Amino acid sequence: MKAFINADLAIQAALSAATDYADIVTDRDPDDGEHVVPGELRRFLARLRLLHGVPFSYLVPDANLLPIESIRFFYIDRAWTDALVQGALSVGTISSADRTQLEAVYPHIRAEVDEAERTIRQPRGEALLKAGSGTITGFILRSRAVSGWPNLHVRAYSRDVVADDALTTAAESDPSRMKVLRMERLAPAVLLVLFDGVPAVVHIEEPRQGIQFGVRIDPDSPANQRRVKVRDCDNGNPVPPENAFTATNAVDVPFRPNAPGVIDMATLRARLAAKAPHSGGTLEPNEYALQMLRFPFRQVFGDPDNQTESKRFYALDQFKAKVALTTWKSTVATKLAKVDS
Amino acid sequence: MPQTGHFILHSNVMPPVTAGAYELVTEQVDLPFGVEPEHTHVQIAAPRYTMPTDQILSSFPPANAEGAFGDRLPQVVLKRRTLPWERNPAGQVQPSETPWLALVVVAEGEAQLSTATPVKDCVTAGTALLDPDDKDVEQGLYLAVTETVVKKIFPCKDDLPLLAHVREVDVNDTELANGDDDGWLAVVLANRLPVFDDANQKSVRYMACLVNLEGQLEALPKPTPPVANFEFVLAQDWRVLASVDPRGGPDVQVLGNAQLGNVVLPAAGVQAKPAARAALAKAGAAAAQPVVAIDGAAKMTQPSVGKQWSSATQQVAAVALDPDAKRLVRDTMAQGFRFPIEAFALEKVLRFPVLAHWSFTTNEGATFEKLMQGLDVGLLGSVAEPPPNTPAADARPEVVQTGHIGLGHRTRRGDPVRAWYRGPCVPFPTARDSTSKDQPLALAHSADQLRRVIPDGREDLALAAAFEIGRLLALSQLSVVSALLRFRGEQFGAGRVREVLAQLMPFVLPGLKDERVDMGRFVALQVLGVLANNTDRMIGPRRPVADPGRPLRVSGDLDQVIATGLGFDLASLRKRADAVGLLSALDQTNAPLALKPGQAPNEKLVVAMLQAALQGELQRTLGVAAPKVAGAVIRGARGRATAPDALDALLAGASAEDDEDDEDTP
Repeated sequence: MKAFINADLAIQAALSAATDYADIVTDRDPDDGEHVVPGELRRFLARLRLLHGVPFSYLVPDANLLPIESIRFFYIDRAWTDALVQGALSVGTISSADRTQLEAVYPHIRAEVDEAERTIRQPRGEALLKAGSGTITGFILRSRAVSGWPNLHVRAYSRDVVADDALTTAAESDPSRMKVLRMERLAPAVLLVLFDGVPAVVHIEEPRQGIQFGVRIDPDSPANQRRVKVRDCDNGNPVPPENAFTATNAVDVPFRPNAPGVIDMATLRARLAAKAPHSGGTLEPNEYALQMLRFPFRQVFGDPDNQTESKRFYALDQFKAKVALTTWKSTVATKLAKVDS
Repeated sequence: MPQTGHFILHSNVMPPVTAGAYELVTEQVDLPFGVEPEHTHVQIAAPRYTMPTDQILSSFPPANAEGAFGDRLPQVVLKRRTLPWERNPAGQVQPSETPWLALVVVAEGEAQLSTATPVKDCVTAGTALLDPDDKDVEQGLYLAVTETVVKKIFPCKDDLPLLAHVREVDVNDTELANGDDDGWLAVVLANRLPVFDDANQKSVRYMACLVNLEGQLEALPKPTPPVANFEFVLAQDWRVLASVDPRGGPDVQVLGNAQLGNVVLPAAGVQAKPAARAALAKAGAAAAQPVVAIDGAAKMTQPSVGKQWSSATQQVAAVALDPDAKRLVRDTMAQGFRFPIEAFALEKVLRFPVLAHWSFTTNEGATFEKLMQGLDVGLLGSVAEPPPNTPAADARPEVVQTGHIGLGHRTRRGDPVRAWYRGPCVPFPTARDSTSKDQPLALAHSADQLRRVIPDGREDLALAAAFEIGRLLALSQLSVVSALLRFRGEQFGAGRVREVLAQLMPFVLPGLKDERVDMGRFVALQVLGVLANNTDRMIGPRRPVADPGRPLRVSGDLDQVIATGLGFDLASLRKRADAVGLLSALDQTNAPLALKPGQAPNEKLVVAMLQAALQGELQRTLGVAAPKVAGAVIRGARGRATAPDALDALLAGASAEDDEDDEDTP
């Protein structure tokens, strides 16, 4: 029989076997590249690493560790999450052959799950980041701010390069910005956020749901009073001082008696017109809307020794009118005159 | 158009004419004969009783949202910039700067939102409308409010122009103008802050209604002297009606405020005195309990107010899943605003057509700033030191500096002991692997392998607990279990193939130790390695970087050659050069031209010349490439008079594999 197997036949067999072998042990994911571990399993394990599904009492074993109205920063203990993954992998290892084989493959599984951690949360338009494992940090915020302001913005930076009151931010793949690995409301008032690295500064911002109009609560006055900060009518800038309510930069909001929260708009307009610079004594409806614009606030967590951060709460209402209102008024007037004629 | 990220505010954009039916009359005069005037009828359409959904671009607060909206004015953004001014609320034909639309915010219990009603009944009876036949729909909704509530929460006439404005944005900036076509939007603001109930610390559900004020401007409240602070009291509280059978029986309909058991309805038109308010609060508390129904026999048909409260948001979300969602969501959001006020109120009840409505809940009274500044910042796994003189030491958890916490633990034998536990969130960076790099990674197969006993004698169960919860989480998903088993089976099959291969292949197969298993990559690397080590044998000798050029063969005097080539006499040129210098001599000498400028060349002559030149060049090249003197031994080429070029070197190298030392020195 041996005479019938020549060298050509043997090499053919070896080649097809080699191709089959490589096919079997490689998981080809069109989005994710080639891996040893199948995609569904890899993603499940990566989600486990990011503590998806882990009961909350395993994260915070005692309520005293997370009091009401508190924020707690932490590092993720990689040994703990590895034990979590090992527990998941131990499912169905019955014989010692199973275990030997698992021991042989485990380093690959670990390396690939390290990589997959960053693919779990992929915001649209953000570049996919790929690297091995790193330190994961994060925080748990337990506050009424989480329930009252759904869709908070959370951003972390590895270097404090973004100005604390900057209006824009860098993309998540930017080197100075930390990728958010997970951001989830675990309960109506509990927010869990995980970062890919150790941030130097963390920003938490009010949700930006379009342009809003409103009033402010002066921290020094009673809870049932409201004030409005005055803006310069020519350029829209708030009247200094930025972070305090004074007699020159704010007016009291007049309310209708016996009606909860109903604002006397006409009186408020008169008060604003009297105080706003360059108002000319009266406010048109559009100028009035400019005065009532409200922008979101940002809380900055960072190194308190950093002098630029001593002021830690910022109003993001840098409002820049590029064209003076008087110019626009005349433009609109001429345009309307054309329409009329 | 403004820049991206910028917008422009305009006070208003007035339409040239208001909506309605117009008649254009064309008359001819000064003609010797009579001409009939021509009548053209024009209908200018605008919404009146309902707002088309495509005209509503966005609303704030979002519909059915819960949040801290107490210091933001609700608003609705409309697509057509002239919409708020397309009708005159005073009932005239001329456009007016006072908008006919107002956004009214009512709290639950203050007003009634009707079900679909013929539009002629959607306004207060007796209101004179400009053109009652001008209607966009047959049935609409209306808001029924008592005069007291109108006086308290509706905007004054002077407020109206301030509550609407036009915004011009960059249309490409989708954040600001989703679905808009030209970037001009009309914005209608409310005049009421949806404040939180600070006194009772309760969330308040509000409904924002875009109402039509046509013909009812006079019903709006007159300005009153303002006050600096407000108090959260509902303008009127009809919520008790929720516990009344809406059918009520004929008596209630006819007689108005009937005997409602222990329920006290708001004193219509009278300011609530403290005593009355207390009674009202009592009534509110009693409303949670079953109220004696009017006919005394029937059971309550509606759930108590308290139940409606907590579940309103969930109910809307659940209804949104229904295929008939569009109608049902609107209907369910109106829940809590359907109290039959008109049947019970003794004072005049006004009706305003509602073009759009949505509801939301204010569940927070504090400001973001105050909450964030008041946060207790710290690291997880650390507990603040208790103030001194606190006796309750046992109330504090047993937390140590490593972040471990002491918890009660019942061993397998049943002994109650204390064990240490630490979650995945630790207050300082930790090492990942305890083993060194040379050893294989530690892998636990059961939770017991991860139990540790620390020097104080207690067990540290942190990792064991993590292992167990990981195992349970994997087991809880059948798909994960089957994926694991399939993965394992494939790996076993792959292992068998590998064993067969190891017998067949002359290569050393890659192990699972260091690198990823990839046969294709392995073969490629092997091939590349062999190629790199034996380049001459597998690929061939290298070519030199640059080939030496062909040597120019010039025989005789260079000047003579050039002069002959250009066709002039060198001797006479030299003689002339002696007299006037070389440059001017060259300047004065004419090179003979074969063709005059513009003359067509003689084709036969040219072709013959080109052929001769080509033939000569071919002969020369062939003479170089295959010299006649070179016999069978190519190596002899090196001894020829002509210098060997790169091709020669290549050929020589190919014939003798061992001769590869002086290839690059021709």
